[in-house]
Amino acid sequence: MTKADYYCSVKLSRCRCCQSKFFNESIRMLRQPLTRALALKSPTRAAPLAARCQATQIQPQPDKVEVFIDDKPVYVLPGTTILQATAQAGVEIPRFCYHERLAVAGNCRMCLVEVEKSPKPAAACAMPVMKGMRVKTNSDLTRKAREGVMEFLLVNHPLDCPICDQGGECDLQDQSMAFGSDKSRFTDIHFSGKRAVEDKDVGPLIKTIMTRCIHCTRCIRFASEVAGVDDFGTTGRGTDMQVGTYVEKMFLSELSGNIIDLCPVGALTSKPYSFAARPWETRRIDSVDVLDPLGSNIVVTTRTNEVLRILPRTNEEINEEWLSDKSRFACDGLKRQRLVTPMLTDSRGNLTPVEWEDAIVAAARALRDCPPEKLLVVAGDMADAESLMALKDLANKLGSENVCTEQYFPLEGAGIDLRSSYLLNTKIANVEDADFVLLIGTNVRFEAPLLNARIRKAYVHKETDIALIGPQVDLTYDYLHVGESASIVKDLATGTSSHEVMKRLQQAKRPIVILGADQLKTPEGSALLAYTQELALKVQEKLADKEWKVLNVLQRTASQVAALDIGYKPGVGKLLQSGPKVVYLLGADNGVVSRDQLPKDAVVIYQGHHGDNGAAIADIVLPGAAYTEKRATYVNAEGRAQQTLVAVTPPGKAREDWKIIRALSEVVGERLPYDNLDEIRDRLSQVSPALVNYGNVQDNNYFAQARALAQSLQKPISGKMDVQLKQLEDYFMTDSISRASPTMAKCVQAVLKQKQSSY
Amino acid sequence: MSARQAIQVGTKTVKPVLSTTPGEAKRRVLNLYKAWYRQVPYLVKDFDIPKSEEQCRAKIKELFLKNKDVTDIRVIDLLVIKGQIELKESVNMWKQKGHIMSYFKPTEEPKPKDFLSKFFSSNE
Repeated sequence: MTKADYYCSVKLSRCRCCQSKFFNESIRMLRQPLTRALALKSPTRAAPLAARCQATQIQPQPDKVEVFIDDKPVYVLPGTTILQATAQAGVEIPRFCYHERLAVAGNCRMCLVEVEKSPKPAAACAMPVMKGMRVKTNSDLTRKAREGVMEFLLVNHPLDCPICDQGGECDLQDQSMAFGSDKSRFTDIHFSGKRAVEDKDVGPLIKTIMTRCIHCTRCIRFASEVAGVDDFGTTGRGTDMQVGTYVEKMFLSELSGNIIDLCPVGALTSKPYSFAARPWETRRIDSVDVLDPLGSNIVVTTRTNEVLRILPRTNEEINEEWLSDKSRFACDGLKRQRLVTPMLTDSRGNLTPVEWEDAIVAAARALRDCPPEKLLVVAGDMADAESLMALKDLANKLGSENVCTEQYFPLEGAGIDLRSSYLLNTKIANVEDADFVLLIGTNVRFEAPLLNARIRKAYVHKETDIALIGPQVDLTYDYLHVGESASIVKDLATGTSSHEVMKRLQQAKRPIVILGADQLKTPEGSALLAYTQELALKVQEKLADKEWKVLNVLQRTASQVAALDIGYKPGVGKLLQSGPKVVYLLGADNGVVSRDQLPKDAVVIYQGHHGDNGAAIADIVLPGAAYTEKRATYVNAEGRAQQTLVAVTPPGKAREDWKIIRALSEVVGERLPYDNLDEIRDRLSQVSPALVNYGNVQDNNYFAQARALAQSLQKPISGKMDVQLKQLEDYFMTDSISRASPTMAKCVQAVLKQKQSSY
Repeated sequence: MSARQAIQVGTKTVKPVLSTTPGEAKRRVLNLYKAWYRQVPYLVKDFDIPKSEEQCRAKIKELFLKNKDVTDIRVIDLLVIKGQIELKESVNMWKQKGHIMSYFKPTEEPKPKDFLSKFFSSNE
């Protein structure tokens, strides 16, 4: 088989008459796999619940067509598939290959239904409704078709449910119980065995047992449509059909874990979770991810006070139903390198375990003996809003204003006074409506993988174009690379450049500009921000859609927005040079503060959950709780407050973070006026109501004022922009949890190994 | 519950346990209290407990006053019956020293109430 043939069969597993050259061209033209291009554009996503209400109060609408599902009339938009129409009528049709976020493949045939006056059953997922169509979802013919398909699937599927990791959450199990036949014609009288397929090695995250594969091609479609990795495909026909990468190759994507969720059977399962637990033994707690700035919604699965795995939870506003690999698989880092007991340095300079009383008293003495201007508080990238609030209140009560975060943001101009200058104003979900995206100094793919998935979605389905100023990186889609120099932004903003990007920005109806917060660290950062604001607002003023926001700043960490809202100063810079006597690190592990920058006699107090850079330089260690162990507030990059819930208890003597600070405050003699979570949240709402407005995000304003204040900062800039995360191997280990995770370490190894391979 | 049923329940007459009037119930309580009071010297002596007679009387008063807000005659009667059982068990030496001492809860530690002590005793 030639390569062209192979790719052809990948794209067109159901098209029997392909001419590879023509289709490859058309694919490039359409930016999407052909299956999608040929498939019907589904106008509405099936929404069973809302639709059920609609079905009870039937009112014919002029632009809708009437169809009959089991003789019940339903009004749907033309172009809706039978499957979506039945969902509106409250009837669920079994399916394997159909997935509402992926292109329609129509190859599993499980959704066959009888349509009156049609000579043979129709695949409901691919067949559009026609006026007056009468669909029978439970007729003899339909049931016979389903049972036949199910029998075929089971003939080619191993009977290994007792040792299969999908057992208990398997679509094939469930649907064979609900829709399958009670007997099979497969007897294997010659003991020739069932069909068997060699397992593939696609990396350290996904375990493949390809014998179980039912060829639904969901993983292939996800890889090529959402993840932008065109390695997956099918080879062979009939019994010899195999899903795989043809040559053995790792699935090089930051979204690879999602194909585990997508797989309806146990062919793709989670390697770290293999043989760990059954779904009915576990408890599932809804929570929020903090390993990237987006705050993806997650479900934490636990058993016996141990986090077993993390799955995505659907939230259309943020992560749809996907989750990035670091958020999903770094959870084994929560069991390693943990700080489980308070510690103090002994006479030989080693940290030794002590009781809470001793540690708190030692910390309180250090704080009390410290002159207020010599106290420095540094918050790290996974600090929650409650502990940030408590620690700032404590520092202020002690007379110090030196509370800052590790991540820098320019304070000149409007600085952090206006929320619009440091947030993702467009909001994550709206990014897919954008028609032109300008990325400045950010590798969105690794800084916020699911935001990148949104941009890719817009690129694939809505003809959105993307331009990038900054180092050339692989974003999984084509983009116009404008250059690496920051001065390009200046030229665009001042109008001295007549680059194509400027024209595109002006022509676009809904353009967005995303600035990476990492670029603002340099001395030229304030000017870069000023020019970006200028550029974005110049474009925004001329838009017909007055509600559309162009300016976006993509923060790098989960804590930064909450910290800035509360009033932390971004960046330690000058405060560190003034020679602090006491440094209080709240989970600050990025190495911004190091011992050689501090005076010899400085006391470092570290409060956090992992023994990482921060704890290594500390004199006093106060063990805190990780995000799965506390009920805490986090504000994501778009300014949406969300809360994590307690899935497991903190290990050893570790405590919830804000309580440690509250206890410390009482021993210092500056008692903070809150004793429980409700009271500290009241305090949060005093500072900013947005911090406790869970799940909602407010519209940002005052762009013009920020721009006016930034006018004076528009100085010449010349530097080259650089991003921290360039390659896939840089992505996996970026914070204290993922650095402690063995799975993430394996991922880095595997990616590096794959890079050396000739494929 | 329909309105008629509610009225039925509200006006239901119940069978008395022992007393028919509050005065009678009160007399039973006082009688029991006096009986306990009179037994105190013997209890202290027989059980050889490390408590004085004053301490025991104070404890009896405390335990009686714990139920001072009970107004239901039937409940009062049942409490009196239980008190009589206790008294009988004590007087007849069916109880042992530990049972008597358990009225004083010598091993129970008070729960921490303020934030700091809760934090240090790992309740918070």
